[in-house]
Amino acid sequence: MDASEREQYRAAIHGDRDAFEMIIRTHSRTLFAIAYGILQSREEAEDVVQDSLVKAWKTRGRVRDPEKFPAWLATVTRHGAHDVFRKRRTVSLLKETVEASESQPPDTSGIDQQLHSALATLPELHRAALTLRYFEEMDYRTIENTLGLTNGALRGILGRALAEMRKQLRPALASMD
Amino acid sequence: MATIHNEIDNWLAADLHGELSEDERGELHAHLVECAACRKTHQETKTMNKILEETLAQQKPDPAFEQRMLTGFRNRIPEKGGLIKSLFDLMRFRAVQVTAVVAVLFALMQLGRTFTRETATTPRTRDRYADKQLFEPPSQVAATLEPGRAGALDKSDELAAGKPKDLALAPPQSSSETRSKVARDFKAYPATVAPVETPQAEMAAKETGSETGAMNDVAEASSAETPAPELANRKLIRNANIELEIISFGDAVQKITAFANEERGYIATTNSEKQANGKLRGQVVVKVLPENLDRFLQKLRGLGELKNQTLGTEDVTKAYFDTDARLKNAHVMEQRLIDMLKTKTGKVSDLLQVEKELGRVREEIEKMQGELKYWDSQVQFATVTILLAEKDMEEPAAFLLKERAQLSLYAPDVEKIYNDIKALASPKVQITNAQLNRDYSGRISATMSMLIVPEESDAVIGRVKGLGRVENFQMQTQRIAQGGSGMSENAKTKRDKVELNITVSREEQEQALQQTSLRIRTASVDTKAKELQALAAKQSGRVRSSTFSRDPDGREVAGVSLRVPMKNYPALMQSLNALGKVENVSVQRQDRTGAQSDEANAPADISIQVYSQGNIVSHETGLLATLRRTVAQSAGAIMWSLRMIGVAVAFLAPWVVALVIVIWLVKRVARERQ
Repeated sequence: MDASEREQYRAAIHGDRDAFEMIIRTHSRTLFAIAYGILQSREEAEDVVQDSLVKAWKTRGRVRDPEKFPAWLATVTRHGAHDVFRKRRTVSLLKETVEASESQPPDTSGIDQQLHSALATLPELHRAALTLRYFEEMDYRTIENTLGLTNGALRGILGRALAEMRKQLRPALASMD
Repeated sequence: MATIHNEIDNWLAADLHGELSEDERGELHAHLVECAACRKTHQETKTMNKILEETLAQQKPDPAFEQRMLTGFRNRIPEKGGLIKSLFDLMRFRAVQVTAVVAVLFALMQLGRTFTRETATTPRTRDRYADKQLFEPPSQVAATLEPGRAGALDKSDELAAGKPKDLALAPPQSSSETRSKVARDFKAYPATVAPVETPQAEMAAKETGSETGAMNDVAEASSAETPAPELANRKLIRNANIELEIISFGDAVQKITAFANEERGYIATTNSEKQANGKLRGQVVVKVLPENLDRFLQKLRGLGELKNQTLGTEDVTKAYFDTDARLKNAHVMEQRLIDMLKTKTGKVSDLLQVEKELGRVREEIEKMQGELKYWDSQVQFATVTILLAEKDMEEPAAFLLKERAQLSLYAPDVEKIYNDIKALASPKVQITNAQLNRDYSGRISATMSMLIVPEESDAVIGRVKGLGRVENFQMQTQRIAQGGSGMSENAKTKRDKVELNITVSREEQEQALQQTSLRIRTASVDTKAKELQALAAKQSGRVRSSTFSRDPDGREVAGVSLRVPMKNYPALMQSLNALGKVENVSVQRQDRTGAQSDEANAPADISIQVYSQGNIVSHETGLLATLRRTVAQSAGAIMWSLRMIGVAVAFLAPWVVALVIVIWLVKRVARERQ
């Protein structure tokens, strides 16, 4: 993290709107990736990012160390996404009990559909890492910083995530080949 | 190689994501060449990666995403106003933050100081102050002696003036150090040249000779805010005031004397005063030992009813020791002056001066000794001032009966009565005031006041009453207690002189008791009116006014106003019937309350109107007159109706105008629409 970035974070923590808006410009995509990783819904993810930014602005005083500001932003977003996820699950469970008798779950033949369901089975951290990587094409180092991981941990996470996906999608892959 | 095979997933992912170093990639590729399983995995992972890239790329946010976030944020958190924002901006700077914190800390410190009433420099100033207190007085003493004569003292003068300066100039040390130094220096001076102002230091001055170690302690005490009270050395003057109500003054004084003896005191003064009602009131001053004061007061309470008690203590310690110290100084002065005289150097005039100064100093010494003695006596004994008053102090000694009479008279001749009353004057009847008033309209009245001795009063009042017609008589008796208030069984009652106030007015001014008005119709008014006047004269009535008039119709009216005494009124009314037909009689009587009025002689007013019928035929009859009246009436009626029409028009016109305008507007609008 270079000095100007640090200064920007510090200013934002002390209430500089311009600095905070600059941070929104540079970081909201990352936050979106995180939220999307958890929720796998663009609309919901966008809402979560929006809410998290507002919440971050209001509670910015809690951050002591400017260097931790991006990681803290990610945490706020992740918590927000989790909240939404939890609510959604209770709602969808209710829906499922109603719909279960009437119709079969929708056909998951499409590769997109399969991919998403495979993603859904991954641990949340893995999903976040994947989305960060494939949305933003971030290098491992940055992803690690953003998610607050230790040096080198990401390689294993991404390896396992990919392997898991591969195993789940093997039939589809075979058919593609 | 084995590690690559085991962790092939990680390696492949890192390879696809371009996160492998050159060497690592070499190793991986080498392994893939060897291991078929890993090659297969590699293939699958590559496909997987591609799918992920393709699928997730669709889910990537669109380019306007950031702008949306920003707009949303701005909408939800509106920007703050100019001042607050600029304040926030300012607070971003580290220097400003530091300054703010310092300012807040400083403010808190000041706040704390105001609460504790302490200043930062307190300890040092207090020490300096102590120095001043201890060392300035010597130079003051030196200043009182004129330099030429006090040659012997010059040296010590210098000492006194010089040393403290050194001390004051010395850099401020820790307070305890300074204090001990002060004490040391202080000891170096002869105690007698160091009179001091504060009571704490006075003690020091007293004790210097006896104890050396005590010095430090005393100096310590002088710097402390509150010295421990040394009761034994205190000079306290105690005194008490007590007010008692007792039965007998003599007994009380005896008992007080006994009590005073018991408490080893004595009666200082006693005085008493006899009141008009024979009761005694007085004051006894007793001196008792202070330690017995409370017990003595307790005993006093048994004497009678306690009305009031005050107990006071005056602390003269400071003044006492001040004087004491000054006295010692004066003694030293005296000794030196005597020494000077003994050595006898210098001119004769100088010696004379010294002699004079010696006289002055001795006089001062005596004065101060006297003062000290007085204080000693005051301190030695407590003063109790007892105010004694016998019970029923307020009982009156005698009563005085005061009678006051008010008499109003009416008489035809005021002046005569005025002179008659004046003639009553004798040693027993004193005329204090006599006044005869005549106003511009000729009305006359007299007011008189007289004092009559009680025995004569009834006779005199009766005589005055006989002089005229009594309008009003009032008698007022007042009992005045003398020498006190309230009731008393034994007090005598005395009659005072009777005060009589008389007002005499002329009869005419009196209002009539009865007013009658009536009309008499007769053919010959003039003769009847004359007869009427004769009738009135017969009944001792007086004509007050008479009028006569004749109107155009030939009607005659005579008005006669009479006044007769009430006793003659019925006879007069009777005789009136002879004059003609009496009509419209109305009688108005003003009954007077109070038995004093003399009704038979009270005046009755009668106003009589004697009138004739007049001519039967009026000038205002006949055809022409009737015609003239008819025409005039019809013309009047026409004028009246015209006026009414005018009023109606004025009232309606504005409404009509408004209505016309509205109709016109409506029509116009309707036409335009068509």
